[in-house]
Amino acid sequence: MKSRDRRAASRAGEAAGSTTRRGFLKGVATVGAGAAAAATASAASDVLGFDIETFLQKNFRELSDEQLEDVLQRMERKYSAQYGKDVRVAATGPMDGVLFGYGLDISRCIGCRRCVYACVEENNQSRDPEIHWIRVLEFEREAIVRGIELEDGNPYYDHEKVPADDKVYMPMACMHCEDSPCAKVCPTGATWQEPDGIVVIDYDWCIGCRYCMTACPYGARHFNWAEPTLPADEVNPDMHILGNRPRKKGVVEKCSFCIQRVRDGRYPACLEACPVGARKFGNLLDPESEIRQVMRTKRTFVLKAELGTNPKFFYFYG
Amino acid sequence: MAGRAEDPGGGDGGAGVQLATWSVLGGAVVLVVALIGVRLEHQPDTSRDYPSRPLIADGEVVLLSSEELDDEYYPCSDCHEGEPTNRTVRGLEDEHEDHELAHGDLWCLSCHDADDRDSLHLADLTLVDFDESWRLCTQCHGDKLADWRAGIHGKRTGHWRGEKRFRTCVSCHDPHDPPFRQLAPEPPPRRPEQIVIHGATVPESHHEES
Repeated sequence: MKSRDRRAASRAGEAAGSTTRRGFLKGVATVGAGAAAAATASAASDVLGFDIETFLQKNFRELSDEQLEDVLQRMERKYSAQYGKDVRVAATGPMDGVLFGYGLDISRCIGCRRCVYACVEENNQSRDPEIHWIRVLEFEREAIVRGIELEDGNPYYDHEKVPADDKVYMPMACMHCEDSPCAKVCPTGATWQEPDGIVVIDYDWCIGCRYCMTACPYGARHFNWAEPTLPADEVNPDMHILGNRPRKKGVVEKCSFCIQRVRDGRYPACLEACPVGARKFGNLLDPESEIRQVMRTKRTFVLKAELGTNPKFFYFYG
Repeated sequence: MAGRAEDPGGGDGGAGVQLATWSVLGGAVVLVVALIGVRLEHQPDTSRDYPSRPLIADGEVVLLSSEELDDEYYPCSDCHEGEPTNRTVRGLEDEHEDHELAHGDLWCLSCHDADDRDSLHLADLTLVDFDESWRLCTQCHGDKLADWRAGIHGKRTGHWRGEKRFRTCVSCHDPHDPPFRQLAPEPPPRRPEQIVIHGATVPESHHEES
């Protein structure tokens, strides 16, 4: 419960109740601050036909620590009941002096798609309709020499064994751009870049306008056209509010660098699934990190550099 | 409306309606602009003040030995102990015929030690434990050693900050036939034309060529 600890520590010096709580709903939801209040709110939601607490929930960045705690607990209750397992929803914040960067060795990737499905499982992606945050593009080897045209990439290749002869592979997901076009066009402030470089989405503030999908030059964002299906026995109960918690119909989602893992110091799931060790991850501000070693000693490039989006996802020739 | 009728060209009913339409439109524009103003004012503060969270300390490095070690052959001394050693360079025979040997000009005793069957040896005949076989590999593949130490070549799991688990060369490469094996890929994503949502399919204009 690192996130809870973090908030407790930050509020240690403040007297309890120093924050004025306003609004009738909060009155309803927090008086008693216990099961009775929750029951009242859920009864109100039943009558209204939708979850009124979620409807009136502030943007993640405007939530006070106490409000965030309430939101996390509500989500944990909801998901635990929904999937019949003990779900934990964290809001672990960024670490000091950390800016995440990802490296992918395209001279080594064999196009096996192990990363794609490890990501689906880790991040609770919908099984049907199918959503994949990672797409692996296949190119002719000679085409790569001429220069990569992303539109020539084929994500649907279906060989018996990979790598196929004279083909090269390029997995693509969110590039976590520093100057992210998706965040600029979002009319509700539902997507933004965190201090550690992760571009996140507040799924409760996404209105499904899909401007971000149009703005993204990398096709990294995916829309829930229908209610996502997530079998209870396959749910990953270790969730982050800005990452792999279940999404609903009508919202956009994408790679979060496995925010629920990397903010605890772990590697992303796709990296650990890669059988050839083509995936590298670490802190761009640490000169000794793996990703910085890659950038120092290998030829690296970013996709569509000319757009000035400044991706944090680097391809390299190992 | 009556006031508008005094405008040039007024008196004519059609122009009055036109002007009324324009004024309604103008009003709508003002309203939209005002709403956008309100919207912009309510853009969330992007500077959520995160309490300071210290960087996790870097942890120890754990070298994972190959799972292949305890296969049917090891320890080698089980069969080879007491056997006379034939030092003639040759291919794999008898029990080892199922192994492919395709690694430069190397043969068994280039790496395996004839006098200490459960050890390997370096080029200078220093004995090396099977767990440290990477020391043999990197005698020739020095560039890979540098990359592996830096975390560029090879696979690590665990933590980018915290305990790291390294694979050694033989976790991924068969030392007798080092190139990486082809794998069966996981299934491809569905094509747009294969997607059906609420009984509707994706229009043909959105189908992709491949």
